[in-house]
Amino acid sequence: MTRRYEIVYIFDSALDEEGVKGILSRFHALLVTPDKPEPVTQSNHWGKRTLAFSIKRRDTGYYVVEQFETEPRLLAEFERAVKLEDKVIRYLLVVNEGEAPRPAAVARAFGEPEEDAAEGDE
Amino acid sequence: MRRPAKTCPVCESGVRVVDYKDDRSLGRFTTERGKILPSRLSGMCSRHQRQLGEAIKRARYLALLPYIKGFGK
Repeated sequence: MTRRYEIVYIFDSALDEEGVKGILSRFHALLVTPDKPEPVTQSNHWGKRTLAFSIKRRDTGYYVVEQFETEPRLLAEFERAVKLEDKVIRYLLVVNEGEAPRPAAVARAFGEPEEDAAEGDE
Repeated sequence: MRRPAKTCPVCESGVRVVDYKDDRSLGRFTTERGKILPSRLSGMCSRHQRQLGEAIKRARYLALLPYIKGFGK
């Protein structure tokens, strides 16, 4: 029985894309199941973003969003590896079943992107 | 005189699931200090208000939204 999950990683922004991919491929190897040789269904690199607050004294992070399908019993080992990797500043793993959210649709529906008036400079 | 019932802005937009990665839209449902806007102000239906709360909390954990807007600036 496999389930679908979504994970967001925040990597150290000092890392380049190659470095991030290297780490990710190591994580992916932990998710492989006999009937699912290619567990990751979607990988989305947001790239470098400013954090809303500093985490471990860093103000920017390299965001990666991935969807994958694997067996729940593999997650313990996977999460252990993610936690031990100190290039990962933070991650969030959630079960992603049911209707997939469509960020594009949300953004469109809410209309004009208020140019960060809310975020305020300084 | 009763005010006409507010309609849920999320339902109206035809979205069923609130996405925690969409910080732009989520930010519109927070106060100027970054608190979650109550449904009595936003007109959100209870189903979407529950989803919104969870989504904003996840977005905060991922540093997409601040816990307190304007803190430490």
